[in-house]
Amino acid sequence: MSSTLEYLRPRTLIEAWDLAASRPGARFIAGGTDLMVRMREGKVQAPALISLRHIRELTQIDVGPPLVLGAGVNVSDLQANRDVARVLPVLVEATRTLGSVQIRNAATIGGNLCNASPCADLAPPLLVHEARVRLESAAGMRELPLEDFFVGPRASVLAPGEVLRAILVDAPTTARAVFLKKGRVQMDIALGSVAVLLETKGLVCVRARVAVGSLGPTPMRLREVEKTLEGATLDDGTIALARQAAEQDVRPISDVRASADYRRHLAGALLERGVRALMNGGRT
Amino acid sequence: MRVELSFTVNGEPAELRVEPDARLVDVLRDGLGLLGTKEGCGNGECGACTVIVNGRAVCSCLTPALEVEGVDVLTVEGLAGPGAELSDLQQAFVERGGIQCGFCTPGMVMSAHSLLQRNDSPSEGEIRNALTGNLCRCTGYAQIIESVQDAASRLRAKAGKGGGRG
Repeated sequence: MSSTLEYLRPRTLIEAWDLAASRPGARFIAGGTDLMVRMREGKVQAPALISLRHIRELTQIDVGPPLVLGAGVNVSDLQANRDVARVLPVLVEATRTLGSVQIRNAATIGGNLCNASPCADLAPPLLVHEARVRLESAAGMRELPLEDFFVGPRASVLAPGEVLRAILVDAPTTARAVFLKKGRVQMDIALGSVAVLLETKGLVCVRARVAVGSLGPTPMRLREVEKTLEGATLDDGTIALARQAAEQDVRPISDVRASADYRRHLAGALLERGVRALMNGGRT
Repeated sequence: MRVELSFTVNGEPAELRVEPDARLVDVLRDGLGLLGTKEGCGNGECGACTVIVNGRAVCSCLTPALEVEGVDVLTVEGLAGPGAELSDLQQAFVERGGIQCGFCTPGMVMSAHSLLQRNDSPSEGEIRNALTGNLCRCTGYAQIIESVQDAASRLRAKAGKGGGRG
């Protein structure tokens, strides 16, 4: 039998924080696509569930700059949003591979991040754009780089009672970015994913941002790869070095989906494919 | 401790008491006896439990029951006409062999229904994409795709549109 005694649907953040404060151990729930499964498996127990689905403050989108995405924005809505597609096309690209239609119809961008799974599909595209997260609780608001939000598999810096309010991306540059994900089929959980953002002058790379999913304990930037690319001419030699750096920089595990060795190989292969696609005008 | 839940299912009001952490699939099957909706994996991967909530296809195994308070839910039982005649989509599945064992069929039909509501001339790629979240272990999918294409052309014919991409 389950131990959940209450399912609450506040309309405002203030109400949500009040409910959380008076119910130790309560969990916030958004789309529920992950939490419902984990609760059913007994991996998560919560005396109360506080739904964030009915809080309007969480579903706002402002294309800015800075682009502000409410954490409660639904993934299907994000996928269909033309304004976001214009300023952050790689994020919209990533939504297409996030689960199935049914999953996207329920899931939210904030849930994808707060779940803090290493395989969160929306994290690498946001990491290469150096997104920030705005966290808010009854005690106040704080902002930090998305990179610092993740602390381990399924662990984030969110304190009890704190809510991911929004994701912010400063003026997106003219840099182009791609997101590549390897699964057995498209809707699968990623065996590995890589987002690459490049700004070039001629053949010289002036700025590189690389982030991966499912290739370490959290979604993460690959700084050695970025250093290898920045300032270098994007020729076969540079790409080979960057590929090597990617294979060394990732920290994959072996699990039921793939071995660590395979994932290391995947990191290099996806990175090379991403860089070449960007050099080739973004076609993958 | 059970709590009140009232919503609309297939156009009819439904009121019952449910556990706070009940899933929509359990309320439909056990609470209302609507056994058309199937539970396969219970993880949101197989799509057998697909229903349409507020116009959108979702997995009822991942939907907290209390999230449908005051909301319209459409299940496979709601597709047939008033005299129990099958919808064009259902008829197409029957005629084109889109059904073998039948377990995935309600979910498959609901996902396809949701697609055809938005797009009556889907390409094969659009059909495949709409059905990505529905697994079938019998048919190999070819007949299912054909069933949806057939249904789309029936719908277009009724709407007085010829041709199209279907």
